[in-house]
Amino acid sequence: MFNFNPQTQKKLARFRKIKLGYYSFIVLSVMLALLAIAELLVNSRALVVQYEGTLYFPTYTDFHPGTDFGLDYAYETNYRDLAAQFDKTASSNWVIMPLVPYNAYENDATDSIMRPEAPNAARQHYLGTDTTSRDILARLVYGTRTALLFAFAFMVSVYLIGIMIGCAMGYFGGLFDLGFQRIIEIWSNIPFLYMVIIVFSVIPAEASIPARITLLLLVMVLFSWTSMTYYMRTETYKEKSRDYVAAARIIGASTQRIIFTHILPNVLSTLVTFMPFTIVSAIAAITALDFLGFGLPVPTPSLGELLKQGTANLRTAPWIVTAAFGTLVLILSLVTFIGEAIRESFDPKQFTLYR
Amino acid sequence: MSAPLLEVRDLKMHFPVKSGFFSRAKARNFAVDGVNLTINPGETLGLVGESGCGKSTLGRCISRLYEPTAGEILFKGANLAGMRHRQLLPYRQNIQMIFQDPMESLNARHTVGEILEEPFLIHGIGNAQTRRQAVSKLLDTVGLPGRSASRYPFEFSGGQRQRIGIARAIALKPELIICDEPVSALDVSIQSQILNLLMDLQKEFNLAYLFIAHDLAVVKHISDRVAIMYLGKIVEQASSDDMYHRPFHPYTQSLISAIPIPDPHHTATRILLKGDVPSPISPPSGCAFHTRCPKAQASCQHDAPILKTLAPEHIAACHFAAAP
Ligand SMILES: Nc1ncnc2c1ncn2[C@@H]1O[C@H](COP(=O)(O)OP(=O)(O)OP(=O)(O)O)[C@@H](O)[C@H]1O
Ligand code: SF4
Ligand SMILES: [Mg+2]
Repeated sequence: MFNFNPQTQKKLARFRKIKLGYYSFIVLSVMLALLAIAELLVNSRALVVQYEGTLYFPTYTDFHPGTDFGLDYAYETNYRDLAAQFDKTASSNWVIMPLVPYNAYENDATDSIMRPEAPNAARQHYLGTDTTSRDILARLVYGTRTALLFAFAFMVSVYLIGIMIGCAMGYFGGLFDLGFQRIIEIWSNIPFLYMVIIVFSVIPAEASIPARITLLLLVMVLFSWTSMTYYMRTETYKEKSRDYVAAARIIGASTQRIIFTHILPNVLSTLVTFMPFTIVSAIAAITALDFLGFGLPVPTPSLGELLKQGTANLRTAPWIVTAAFGTLVLILSLVTFIGEAIRESFDPKQFTLYR
Repeated sequence: MSAPLLEVRDLKMHFPVKSGFFSRAKARNFAVDGVNLTINPGETLGLVGESGCGKSTLGRCISRLYEPTAGEILFKGANLAGMRHRQLLPYRQNIQMIFQDPMESLNARHTVGEILEEPFLIHGIGNAQTRRQAVSKLLDTVGLPGRSASRYPFEFSGGQRQRIGIARAIALKPELIICDEPVSALDVSIQSQILNLLMDLQKEFNLAYLFIAHDLAVVKHISDRVAIMYLGKIVEQASSDDMYHRPFHPYTQSLISAIPIPDPHHTATRILLKGDVPSPISPPSGCAFHTRCPKAQASCQHDAPILKTLAPEHIAACHFAAAP
């Protein structure tokens, strides 16, 4: 498939030998694949509707008003009701619903009273509902997906900034390096949580949810990029003084070429070993912020928000905290196991390519 | 005689030394302190001296890895000192370098093919196909199999790696190659193979070498002329033969006495130097060698000797220079 260099192949073979990490990797990959197609598994929209001889696939398409299927309302079709109705009337029309026929936002309250309900397979609330009668499984699935996406975006942004600045500091040195060192010292002493609280208190109420999420990401990145610079700075400095860089300069390589084709590939290979741990800390951070109420804006599904509900209703609705806690532990353990395995199999001390 | 290929005039490289917490770089490391030398086309100049005397620094100034503090580096009359990347680029094709440790000097993440293609890429020579041909021709020239191109440096032995380094150095058809101890990291059995390769290439491409080594034995074989360096200065320079048979400087004499001679009847005694090489950060006054010189007199402590012609094409810097 990929044409890895023999050194990398050796590392991958070692990774495969570390069973806990390797199986965690497989499990997580399957989970990620399922999360990627979550709309087909956990959704209030039907997978397929056959109505009057035509097939509809509403999952990813625009919404169909009830009138499309002979109902008397113009808002989005309630496919569960539609299915029930088709069943009742024994018509030739039919609906195939996803495994879990709920989305993460709808309140499915019995008797119109919003309260947590215990898991109920007959109503297809496999993990029960939360305090506002939303399906917990649906909220877990979409909450996990959001958290992972958020953590990934966080990692990419932090690494990009950290790599650029750290690499420039290590490579150019001098006053540039000194200046940034001071800035970073000051910057990393600003308490992050206070900043989040302050920023959140000044966001205008009418800001859209994506805008709020982006802002949260921005604030988190802004106060986290510094940690990456330390590693990049020293590693770049070390690599820069190696003879292969001197050799490149002698054949006429430009600074740009030296940084991008020589130094970075050599430095970044170790970065792989940090990635899982960055993801873990990002998920933990966003969950904690959600728990405190300074995280993702409501009603975005999130693990932290579920944990908060769960701890508030520990006696009356223990299934909430169980589900949220279980998911969090599962995800964090999987990523940590993978991280440990990567760190062990990619150990730069064992695989150093230079002296 | 033809015009010299390279002429180095009064070259100085003083590294700032950080001495303490609030240091303002007061101290300086006089790594290269006023060196003059010339190299003619197709000629090998051996540069010999103990570890830390500034050989590599001198080589790296000439190849403009370092920006010298003072002095001129005239390559075919053009002064390379002070040139910036853009101006230097055309000269990069003419002056190349071979490093001591081939593993360190080859980017381990690139295949041999990529390493050897890079010079052509940078200087915009040829297209993908001609570059590939050029790479296999280079591999052939240095005696490596053609399939090496798709391999990585760590898949080769030390001697083979040095061949890769040599192939890269000759890729752009340079006229001068600075060889910074190219064989001292290699097994003795392989050293002569690499030296022979270097000499063959010299004949084939009319290369000039600045051949750096820390003992005279290696240099003897390959050099036309030899320069002896001590604490950032050249203390003696002569043709290779003359240097071995008639060393004037006490330092050179001790270096030559250290060369093992395979003749059991040979009885010359080794001149052992006392003490260590002084630090180039605070070189001794007068003749820098006086702290270790077996012939030192009181005047050596304050009068610095200058290079004097003591025989045709033979210069040395010693007040009491005498052939042994
Ligand atoms: N980049 C540098 N920055 C600061 N000091 C340096 C640098 N390179 C070399 N030096 C110092 O300059 C002096 C001469 O070093 P150099 O490497 O030129 O010696 P050398 O003769 O090549 O020794 P060796 O035989 O060990 O290679 C040493 O004191 C060394 O510490
Ligand atoms: S000048 Fe004096 S100290 Fe220097 S080499 Fe000659 S004899 Fe020795
Ligand atoms: Mg050296």
